[in-house]
Amino acid sequence: MDRRDRFRHNILTSGHSACSGCGEAMASRMVTDLIGPDAIYIGATGCLQVFSSHNQRSAWQAPWMHSVFSNAAAVAAGVEASLQARGKKIPVVVQAGDGGTFDIGLQCLSGMIERGHNVLFVCYDNEAYMNTGVQRSGSTPHAVRTSTSPPGRVSEGKHHVKKDLISIIAAHHMPYAATATVAYFPDLKAKVEKALSIDGPKFLQILSPCPLGWNHDAALSVQVSRLAVETGLFPLVELEHGEVSRVMRLSTQKPVEDYLKLQGRFLHLFNDKQGKTQIRHIQALADTRIRRYGLLDADTNWTSASASIVQRGGRGTYLPVVPAGMSDHNAKAQG
Amino acid sequence: MSKLSIDPGSSVTNLTGSWRTQTPVMKNKWPPCGQTCPASEDIQAWLALASESQWQAAWRKLTARNPLPAVMGRVCYHPCESACNRKHLDSAVNIHAMEYFLGEMALANGWQHQKLNDNENNATGGKKIAVVGAGPAGLSCAYQLALRGYAVTIFDAAEEAGGTLWSGIPEYRLPKNILKQEIEAILKLGVTLVLNCTIGDIHGNAPHPHKRISTESLITDYDAIFLGIGALKPRLFQNSQYTDQHVLTGMDFLRRVNQGEELSLPKRVAVIGGGNTAIDVARCLRRLDCDVTVVCAQDPHGAHLAHPGAEIPASELEVTQAQREGVEIIYRTAVSRLVYSGKHLNGVETCRVDKIHDRHGNFNPVLFEGTETFIAANLVIFAIGQEVDWCGLERLIDSGLSKVFIGGDAAGNPRFAATAIGSGFENAMSIIDYLSGQKPYFDTHKKAEVTYKNLNLSYYAQSHRQTENAGEKENSGFVDTISLNESTACKEALRCLSCGVCFYCDNCWHFCPDAAIIKQADNYTIDYDFCKGCGICAQECPCGYIDMHTVLHE
Repeated sequence: MDRRDRFRHNILTSGHSACSGCGEAMASRMVTDLIGPDAIYIGATGCLQVFSSHNQRSAWQAPWMHSVFSNAAAVAAGVEASLQARGKKIPVVVQAGDGGTFDIGLQCLSGMIERGHNVLFVCYDNEAYMNTGVQRSGSTPHAVRTSTSPPGRVSEGKHHVKKDLISIIAAHHMPYAATATVAYFPDLKAKVEKALSIDGPKFLQILSPCPLGWNHDAALSVQVSRLAVETGLFPLVELEHGEVSRVMRLSTQKPVEDYLKLQGRFLHLFNDKQGKTQIRHIQALADTRIRRYGLLDADTNWTSASASIVQRGGRGTYLPVVPAGMSDHNAKAQG
Repeated sequence: MSKLSIDPGSSVTNLTGSWRTQTPVMKNKWPPCGQTCPASEDIQAWLALASESQWQAAWRKLTARNPLPAVMGRVCYHPCESACNRKHLDSAVNIHAMEYFLGEMALANGWQHQKLNDNENNATGGKKIAVVGAGPAGLSCAYQLALRGYAVTIFDAAEEAGGTLWSGIPEYRLPKNILKQEIEAILKLGVTLVLNCTIGDIHGNAPHPHKRISTESLITDYDAIFLGIGALKPRLFQNSQYTDQHVLTGMDFLRRVNQGEELSLPKRVAVIGGGNTAIDVARCLRRLDCDVTVVCAQDPHGAHLAHPGAEIPASELEVTQAQREGVEIIYRTAVSRLVYSGKHLNGVETCRVDKIHDRHGNFNPVLFEGTETFIAANLVIFAIGQEVDWCGLERLIDSGLSKVFIGGDAAGNPRFAATAIGSGFENAMSIIDYLSGQKPYFDTHKKAEVTYKNLNLSYYAQSHRQTENAGEKENSGFVDTISLNESTACKEALRCLSCGVCFYCDNCWHFCPDAAIIKQADNYTIDYDFCKGCGICAQECPCGYIDMHTVLHE
């Protein structure tokens, strides 16, 4: 076991082979360290499974099993049922990419929710099939260049718009479904903790930038995910039993160009007239999401500005690795 | 375990650090406020302590470099605030008011300075140091030496300690009792103060009672001598007769006002000069109910962004406050002659200024012929600069004595109290080096630029400067400074961006995708065995503490 860090478990530890600047590794490290080692993690096929468990070396420091692409939710349902039969209460967590959630795994996910299994399903949404070479998925947004939606004379990237998965999930009369992203750790932490406190199926969709597939600088992963929220393209919302219960208000709405221009997958939009139309289209999509969730005028103090503020001593921590009393810094930070 | 299953190894055997093409390096840097501070105060450090309401610790950090916070919180021109990166976000941190607040708090609670080395038989070897001049440079030097256990004696020719702080700064800007209290705190460290005492071999009309010590006895009696004698010889206007009635120097006027002398002043007074002394004189005169015109050779603030040397040298705040108090300032104008009728002064004749500086860059205004204008005044006060008066001290400076150190205005520094305090500190360190043969230990910082471009401003909340207006109040037409309170001071200290200095926000630790940043009890370390060099930690560090280097291996 790797116990280099006294202040977090590093459930997904070093040595994994994710690309430099991987948003999915970052997101998964946050989520799993918030949940802790006393849980059963199920990994659907996808980037996360591939980079964390190859060559007979596992980066996981908690019980972890691999399922096939389509059936992670079904495997989790089985694990949860057997735990229940043995009278054990241990969190069961599915970690899947957008391929394993939006497309291939949707049927099993729907069934798991419908049967009411006590499982947290976390979807790391990087908006394409990254691990097989950046093919379009149901999650890929409109006008994105992927290897199966190349822009050219007759195409401006992916023609269709991104699947509104959170609404599909919420339509199951879902106890808790929320969207989050890596840029706002306090927000992500609150949502993971809320999800864990609920008995029943719950769903988190976490936007995880992919420097390779989105073709942005590896250092900009967090910046890109922050801009996705600030432009309104990725609203941070919580839904309980199908109704929107809370949103993160945008302190200012930024133009979508700020988000698009950092990413090579949108570069073709800045080259010609047709691209300008597509940018206007994307702006209209952002405006629609903002209007739909009331992101500019929601009655909440939780805003994209207040969730960003850093303070001396940090913005929240993980489950303590050492027993209380031994972690002097945590005690100092709280005192 | 069944035969088919595989016992997995841990991924930590895969050292992904070999992927790296750039390397993050964590290093605390010297923030721009501290870099700009003439006294090299560690402003960020004491603001950080103040933001946690550790008032006394903040005061101790501040007084490590500046023993006069209550004084400097009133009179300093706070270049730190012009350098503050926060101004690119909303407005600069009100460092000046914070210094004032901490200084006041120390006086109110009677906090005392503490000697740095507590063992009495320390390495000072009973060495004695003479400090000539009880101005900010001398006080600062004496304070630093006394903190480190040296026996210091300060000599001053005046009847009160403080130098120009006492004689040159009017009561409304610096109440005398505040200055006295802070000087007393320094003397409590064991510093001997000898007033009414002139050093020098010649000199005529010394006021009585007065001691005189020759330079020879100073050289024999002391192991090191610090000269912080200031620049007290006023520059004079050509051919003028400086009589009490019509023509005064600014220094002389301020000294007499500060001594409490009742001057009989005419209604109309012209002040010549654009420095802070001129503005002090003008504001004093307003308080004595005179109509004041300031004649200044330079242009107003903001007129020469590329060449600030051509702007009025007085601080912008002082100028604004003086104008609000009814002082009239005539810019880009210089005096060509004084106009008398008989022995009675009628006013000054002024001309428009063509060039302010000559081709060597020296202040040497050229006047436009035919632009003569008359300004009525029955008293003219020249505040056109001061020079160092070495008279009587030649033996000390000419002989190449290695035990003599010169600081403050006398060393040719810019004429600011904060510069003098910084110079006093530097000289004290040189003196210790000279006496003990060892470089004294003190916090030093390498200069490094931390501009607002190195910061990630999305992590800071917008918050407005406390006391944008509460820092001053109008009191029957005059502007007075008032202090912050504990809660506003805490809020103000929290506005510090901590440029270049880690404040443990955990961002790098949260965001590292590779678990290559390890949190320790009071810092972070980078595990270069696994760091892939993505640069997220440097990009998302709010304060510019982490840099990416293109060197592959450490």
